[in-house]
Amino acid sequence: RAHSSTEQDCCTTLVAASGSSTILPPFSVHRPAGTLRQLFRVSSSTFISTQLATFPTYPAFCAGASMDSRLANTWRLTVNEKKFIETALASDLRIDGRKPLEYRKLTINFGREDGSADVQLGHTHVMGFVSSQLVQPYRERPNEGTMSIFTEFSPMADPSFELGRPGESAIELGRIIDRGLRESRAVDMESLCVLAGKLVWAIRIDLHILDNGGNLVDAANVAALAALLTFRRPECSLGGENGQEVVVHPPEAKDPLPLIVHHLPIAVTFGFFSTEYTMVVDPTHSEEAVMGGRMTVTVNASGDICAIQKAGGVGVPQSEIMRCLRLASDKAESITKNIKDAVEAFNTERMLRKIKRHSTAVAANVSIENDVKGQKDKLAGQRVNESSMSQMERLKLKPDESSISQNDGLGSETRSSDQISSQRAEGNAPLFLGGPSSWDPHTHGVDPDFLKASLAAQGKSNPKAEQSSEDSDDDVAMQEKDASEDVKPPSLATDSSETVEEQKTSIVKKTLKDAVKPKNRRRKKTRS
Amino acid sequence: METKPSNGSPAKFVDQLVVPGDVILDLSTMAEQTIKLGGGLRQDCDAISVIKAGILRFSKPNKYWVESSQKRYVPCAEDSVLGIVVDCKPDNFLVDIKGPSVAFLPVLAFEGGTRRNIPRFEAGTLIYVRVVKANPGMNPELSCVDATGKAAQYGALKEGLMFECSTGLSRMLLSSPTCPVLETLGKKLPFEIAVGLNGRVWVNAGSPSIVIVVGNAIMKSESLTKVQQKIMAEKLLQRVQQE
Repeated sequence: RAHSSTEQDCCTTLVAASGSSTILPPFSVHRPAGTLRQLFRVSSSTFISTQLATFPTYPAFCAGASMDSRLANTWRLTVNEKKFIETALASDLRIDGRKPLEYRKLTINFGREDGSADVQLGHTHVMGFVSSQLVQPYRERPNEGTMSIFTEFSPMADPSFELGRPGESAIELGRIIDRGLRESRAVDMESLCVLAGKLVWAIRIDLHILDNGGNLVDAANVAALAALLTFRRPECSLGGENGQEVVVHPPEAKDPLPLIVHHLPIAVTFGFFSTEYTMVVDPTHSEEAVMGGRMTVTVNASGDICAIQKAGGVGVPQSEIMRCLRLASDKAESITKNIKDAVEAFNTERMLRKIKRHSTAVAANVSIENDVKGQKDKLAGQRVNESSMSQMERLKLKPDESSISQNDGLGSETRSSDQISSQRAEGNAPLFLGGPSSWDPHTHGVDPDFLKASLAAQGKSNPKAEQSSEDSDDDVAMQEKDASEDVKPPSLATDSSETVEEQKTSIVKKTLKDAVKPKNRRRKKTRS
Repeated sequence: METKPSNGSPAKFVDQLVVPGDVILDLSTMAEQTIKLGGGLRQDCDAISVIKAGILRFSKPNKYWVESSQKRYVPCAEDSVLGIVVDCKPDNFLVDIKGPSVAFLPVLAFEGGTRRNIPRFEAGTLIYVRVVKANPGMNPELSCVDATGKAAQYGALKEGLMFECSTGLSRMLLSSPTCPVLETLGKKLPFEIAVGLNGRVWVNAGSPSIVIVVGNAIMKSESLTKVQQKIMAEKLLQRVQQE
């Protein structure tokens, strides 16, 4: 909390500064922290009352200290900054070096659990978490599940956020994201029905704002989408005497199912300034303080407008609005691709985690398909949803991308640790592995012989993955849907082994040269 | 952390990283000496122990303190800081200097300041001031004149842009010899800069692009070594000159 932290700081100031001259008698040092704080409160309010006659004295005893710390903690905009931002925008410059229509770097990481995502957009940091529960449906909609969004504006994000009732901006943020997902029917609600009229799944999306660097809406929206895409709900079936009892299967018994998300509504925020018709995309914290008005457009990659929000502020002509809509759909395409790539990487990594131990990467890839097919077995009984189909196709494509471009590594955890280590002092930080792999005792120390062996095997897996992007593999994937699946894996394996010999020599060089270190981590993941 | 001998000579710890709990000085071994303790140190009977993580510094003849870098500022006398005017009262201006409480700038603490020519600072004005008094529990006191009574660059800063950084970075920017990033940028780009020890930096130049380049370069040099700073600044200048 902002308040308590400043009081802590005040205590250390007291203790530290007390020794600034000659050595003091120990009285100020030996008191426990609680009474020190008391001391400080007493002294500060009395001093304040002597120096400023405006502060009420006795009744606002402690309020004096907290009011002062609140006064000291508020972020203030200087006159210089306001003038500068507007002057710089006149020459199409923004203070962080972006162009007016440029987005900040978007980083999406996932947690260990399904359905938790954290998004960083420049300095803005938002975490999204999706959970589900079986509830009674609404009376008017007995066949649909429910979805609700909860936002928490943590005081650590911004000194102006306070615990307790959400402020206006918090409610507005929740409403924009809710409208974008609900009105456009992005998440399929009918598939969440278990027993019509009695039991449906209620999806709850929690958004925690961890750092406010401007443009919370966009970041929170991406966090919600990323969490929804990676969320898995338990599978349940009807049983009991008259088929009215619902049995929820634990994840160990039956693999949990993903949500059906038809499309991804992406929110793009624009900031308008009072000078001319200057507009910026993705405003930072200082720009938000200076700008005269804002508009958020929620649009999906196909160009369908899901929602528009403009709450007051500077008037904008119609032509500008249309321009914003066009810009928004362009941005939405690139952001959608970003989200999908991150989700695919996470899914691939999740599959790999399920595999127990494999010495060669080829076997690993084959068993990925086995696993996916195993999951498809369960889905065969239900409606074949396109997202899992496309998931499998993309799964084949993803190992291709990840093994070719080594720097992306496998799994978002390695990606995040890559970025963390690159963001830190270049060359100073030790190799930071981050994520769960660092605590697993088996992942310590890869012996060089194994590494050499795995590198050779790596060469085999690459051409196999490359081949998967060709049409023949896609056709094979299509056929697999209907035909018996056991026949396919051997044929795939034989396909891969053929192309392996052809492309091995040409590919091996490339993989050996490219980033050995990420491969190191990849080995550790498949081992664990 | 390896255990250091509790009565180690202080020279062992000077310019080393210390963490809270380290005992750097044992007074029982030194008699008849006066030692000055700055921030981050406290006295526990006969032992001087560290209460803030950072680097232990020593200056002749007898002053010890711990230097650490954080976002918040602990007001200290004789520091030059950048403050933002919050409010004007009859007797003093309330100025925010990123400390635990707002500081007071007496209305008359300007060169040739009398009741008749009180400067008008509106809320949000950026000023370069000197901390006169910073006692614990009291609001710090500021002044726009130096110790001799001259203005010496103190006062309101016009135009330009202010950035916030950590206290460690601002100390590095003020160190002499000039830190590499400022030196390299200064050779090619004309700009003026004011650094406050409270983690605020003000940059001004003829065109906004130069201000933005300099500001971002300074922000980026937070965690870089001297050599890395020089390389980064040179690369940036090349890119700027190309445009």
